[in-house]
Amino acid sequence: MALKSAIRNLRNNPHLLFVRLPNLLSFLCIIVGVVWLLLLPLNEYSRNTYISENALLPGQVHAYFTGSEQNIFRGYKQELEGLLNVGQKSEDGQDQVELTPVISNKIRSVFEASGLKVATQKYEYKSAGITHEGENTYGIIHAPRGDATEAIVLIATWKTANDELNLNGVTLALTLARYFKRWSLWSKDIIFLITPDSKSGTQAWVDAYHDLQPESVQPLPLKSGALQGAVAIEYPFDHRFKNLHIVYDGVNGQLPNLDLFNTAVAIAGGQMGIGSNLQEMWEHDDSYEARLQTMLRGMAKQGLGYATGAHSSFMPYHIDAITLQTKGEGWEDEMALGRTIESLCRSLNNLLEHLHQSFFFYLLMQSNRFVSIGTYLPSAMLIAGNFTIMAIALWMRTGYHEDAKSDMSSDSSQSKKKGSASVTSKSGKPVGLNGPAVAERLLALPLTLVTGLHLLGLVPLYIFNTIPHQFFTTATYIFVVVDIVLPLILAVLLSNGLGLSTPLVPQQYLLIKSFALLLLGLSLSTLATLNFSLSLTIGLLCAPLSFITRSDCSSNPQRFALSGLGLGLLNLLSPPAVLLGACQYTGVSVETVLTEAAYGWDVWGMWTQVVVWCVWWPAWLIGCVLLGSSIF
Amino acid sequence: MTVPSILSLFLAIIVTLWISPVVSSPDYHEQLFLEPLPKSSLLASFNFRGNTSQQSFDNQHFRYFPRALGQILQHAHAKEVHLRFTTGRWDADSWGSRPWNGSKEGGTGVELWAWIDAPNDEEAFAKWITLTQSLSGLFCASMNFVDSTRTTRPVASFEPMGNHMGPNSLHLLHGTLPGEVVCTENLTPFLKLLPCKGKTGISTLFDGHKLFDAAWQSMSVDVQPICSAEGDCQVQIEQTVDMVLDIERSKRSRDDPIPRPLPNDQLVCDTSKPYNSEDTCYPLEKAADKAWSLNEVFGRTLNGICPLADSNEQSVCLRVPHEKSIFTTQGASEIKHDDGFTRCFSLPHSEPFDLSIPEQEVHTQVPIDEPVLHAERTIVGHGQERGGMRIIFGNPSDTAAVDFIYFESLPWFLRPYIHTLQATITGKDGVRREIPASDIVTDTYYRPAIDRERGTQLELALSVPAASTVTLTYDFEKAVLRYTEYPPDANRGFNVAPAVIRVLDGADAHPIYIRTTSLLLPLPTPDFSMPYNVIILTSTVIALAFGTIFNILVRRVVSAEEAALLNSQTFKARLVGKLVAIRDRFVKKETKVE
Repeated sequence: MALKSAIRNLRNNPHLLFVRLPNLLSFLCIIVGVVWLLLLPLNEYSRNTYISENALLPGQVHAYFTGSEQNIFRGYKQELEGLLNVGQKSEDGQDQVELTPVISNKIRSVFEASGLKVATQKYEYKSAGITHEGENTYGIIHAPRGDATEAIVLIATWKTANDELNLNGVTLALTLARYFKRWSLWSKDIIFLITPDSKSGTQAWVDAYHDLQPESVQPLPLKSGALQGAVAIEYPFDHRFKNLHIVYDGVNGQLPNLDLFNTAVAIAGGQMGIGSNLQEMWEHDDSYEARLQTMLRGMAKQGLGYATGAHSSFMPYHIDAITLQTKGEGWEDEMALGRTIESLCRSLNNLLEHLHQSFFFYLLMQSNRFVSIGTYLPSAMLIAGNFTIMAIALWMRTGYHEDAKSDMSSDSSQSKKKGSASVTSKSGKPVGLNGPAVAERLLALPLTLVTGLHLLGLVPLYIFNTIPHQFFTTATYIFVVVDIVLPLILAVLLSNGLGLSTPLVPQQYLLIKSFALLLLGLSLSTLATLNFSLSLTIGLLCAPLSFITRSDCSSNPQRFALSGLGLGLLNLLSPPAVLLGACQYTGVSVETVLTEAAYGWDVWGMWTQVVVWCVWWPAWLIGCVLLGSSIF
Repeated sequence: MTVPSILSLFLAIIVTLWISPVVSSPDYHEQLFLEPLPKSSLLASFNFRGNTSQQSFDNQHFRYFPRALGQILQHAHAKEVHLRFTTGRWDADSWGSRPWNGSKEGGTGVELWAWIDAPNDEEAFAKWITLTQSLSGLFCASMNFVDSTRTTRPVASFEPMGNHMGPNSLHLLHGTLPGEVVCTENLTPFLKLLPCKGKTGISTLFDGHKLFDAAWQSMSVDVQPICSAEGDCQVQIEQTVDMVLDIERSKRSRDDPIPRPLPNDQLVCDTSKPYNSEDTCYPLEKAADKAWSLNEVFGRTLNGICPLADSNEQSVCLRVPHEKSIFTTQGASEIKHDDGFTRCFSLPHSEPFDLSIPEQEVHTQVPIDEPVLHAERTIVGHGQERGGMRIIFGNPSDTAAVDFIYFESLPWFLRPYIHTLQATITGKDGVRREIPASDIVTDTYYRPAIDRERGTQLELALSVPAASTVTLTYDFEKAVLRYTEYPPDANRGFNVAPAVIRVLDGADAHPIYIRTTSLLLPLPTPDFSMPYNVIILTSTVIALAFGTIFNILVRRVVSAEEAALLNSQTFKARLVGKLVAIRDRFVKKETKVE
């Protein structure tokens, strides 16, 4: 009975149906979405990791990389050290290492002496006015019984992701190459790739491997088969280490198969007794807070979508890859790391098929705990859904209910008497509330405006990806100003009907908002399946846009004050303002972030900026225009 | 002009020496040819050749010719058959040109081609299927999977090796199985075809553990008719096993094959390094070739010579500089050839023979012949829908262009766009230039695929100018297979057979063959575990629902006292129990009616 009357009430009360209910639903969606996310670290919602692919058999083999191999490791290290002149430190304590052709030749000769096929590749990238160039050296161990159909890649970069000298890592790769060559059990070719840095070297190499390299990158003279997995080694200090830090995020938030991560954790922990960390969580007590923090850090990296290490460039090619970084002061030496990698290679060598058994979409919150896409996806979907709900409600409202404006201004008082009263709209059409009249929608201008503003997003996208890096900070501040001024100008233009004869009617404002939210909801829900974290973040930052609206009924000072305050608050959530705020919070300079972003766009094929400038920014701009238009 | 490799020339001379007395009585020869290759490798090339006259072959009178094979060939009307089992990769950069000029090797896996006598194509194919099925059983290989999609009829890539007389209408059919793993189960039937069956002679050296630990290995069976000018014909069977062993690896004992790190005192270090010490060692790789002996490398000694073979034969030949000293067991006589490198041994009849080369410094090196052509074929691009094929041909010769036939048979689910065929050429100056493909491709034979019926066959006649590298590329589309067409290991990818290159060298009677490596093509693969999960889930739901409903339907609910009465053993009690049950039923019915 109660339900019946509620529905009857709803039908008789369009204000409730078109204004109150959507607002309530949208708000609920956001709240439930956020709460859902916060529930994930609980034991009831997350799962323990497990090895899904039986062929991997992590840690089931004895690793023999010990004994005199360490003498050879020391020999190689001394040799490289002599060529590097590591002793010379600059004022800021950073190792000033120049990778001369002598070193490249030395690596070449070491590989050749070990019986590998060696080749080099020169590359050059230009981004934001900076030229990145270098030379990759790589050696291939041909599978003794194989036919170049499959391969595993072991990467050692001269500079780690944190720009430290990775002498131990490179030396370890050389020693392992010599050691692996003796084994006849390899079913896949093993490629040892030595790159100058973590950012561009692997990208140039893997692009060229698939013959998709730009002009400035040399093609590879030597190739093998389909790449099945890649492991990067980083050991950037001289003392012994305590833990392994496993980095797994790829470009655009792509992740490697969970089995690869699990294998690394299982081998490090189960076989070698080395603890593993993730997401720079050095002290992880497995509490709710620690899990949540790990998850949020993972989401931040995924959302930004940048390459977190040498392994990241492999991900777009559906090659699962991770980086193993040594961390802390402990008692594990380079041989333990070597045995871990040996065991990991043996596991990958066992693979009969490409890694496909386990999850590709997951959030990790501890090295042995994760949530899969089925569990976490509703969170972002609900937040994206709130925009769609609001957009549909607005669309219905514009069709059936002309006097939206009066509803808005006097929410509380009118809702009660609506049931019986019949009001007359501005244009003079009577609206029967028991059977709302159908209104004609004036679509042309709202559609044009929304499309136009979305296309306008290409302008900042182009600017921020092409100007030289030293202008990035200035450009950001200029853009903050533009973001303050542009909505006001647009609002003035709109209230004058864009210079056309008639000014905009309230219905058109509602349509503009409807289209903008519809696009936003559509984009974000699609994005949620590809890059959950980015979709969620932008969804949350855009959440106020669902609820802001144009008001022009109340008294002037109050309206000005409210709109002005709204505009001010909304400007705090503009893309450049958020960028500045985030940089302030993390202590990274704006220039660094934007240089990295431009680099990502030019080299890695990163799409984060497109989402920011062509999805987030236009939606935000339209919200501001609506608020601004209530002033004029 | 292509320089015929000295090794191949040598092998060719041996072959011609053998072929010359060809139309005499049936005979049998066997020979082992050894050549140390750079990077501590050893090429061992075994050759076994038997003859029988056409007449005795037709009458099923077999002496040196294996009966099992002979009857299959007669049944399938196969006049000439070539069968190859190959694994591994010939490292042309280090090892030079291929043994037998590549004419005795196949692509990775199994390759079979035969000339079949049949009146028309359909019957030829039916006989071909008979042949593959029978050979599949004989050699324990999956040749029965060579169906119409894997069978091609090459036009220009293969020529009959034998002399075919008479009004036969011969059909050439060719099939490959690139994914077939060659192993001991193929070696045993191969050995059984030999007259001495691995008991004596050079075939005693075949140990599956060593043979299948080789870096590259190819087993071949060739059957072909050899006819004299007068018209006397013989059927010749030639079996070869070529392998490249890693000397260091082969010398490891079978009890402990693990390449553990050496003890510290056995490390060979560069003592000239300033940091060289007890615990620091820059390894020094030995320049000299490693010492080896037959026993160490093959795990066995050679057990005399096969009594059926020609007794004066020098059945073991070795190609090392003459200045190298070699130790053999007593009774073997050494004959050095004039070329400065080759020496052959006549073996004692029934005593084991061993041969050992100690580690020694020599000044002359056996020259390594540059192959006439380098070929590399890879799949480029990525994604589930499209890809590209890239084939690189390098002509190392500074003076002569290389003409060759490039033959590739592609599975039907790889759909090439031949209109996208593009060529780029990199000349001496190192500048890449786009050129029209017709500048390089002089002739094309293309037979498009039909889905699920036959694969694509592409034969190109190409010419690569001197000292240049030609890259051919074309795009292809990946087909989506039906659910049931995927193999159990669908996510591994699908094997694409190696391309065959036949270098056309007018003057030389022995063609040069080169094969590329096989490829792995990833196809769009559904998540097979999903239907499985759905099946499991629905089965569980149905089982639960069915179980509960069935339970409710058939169970009679009785009170505890009724049950007690039913269970009691006395007659009276049972009777009372029944009565109670009947009464209950009535009462129930009444309530229902009510």
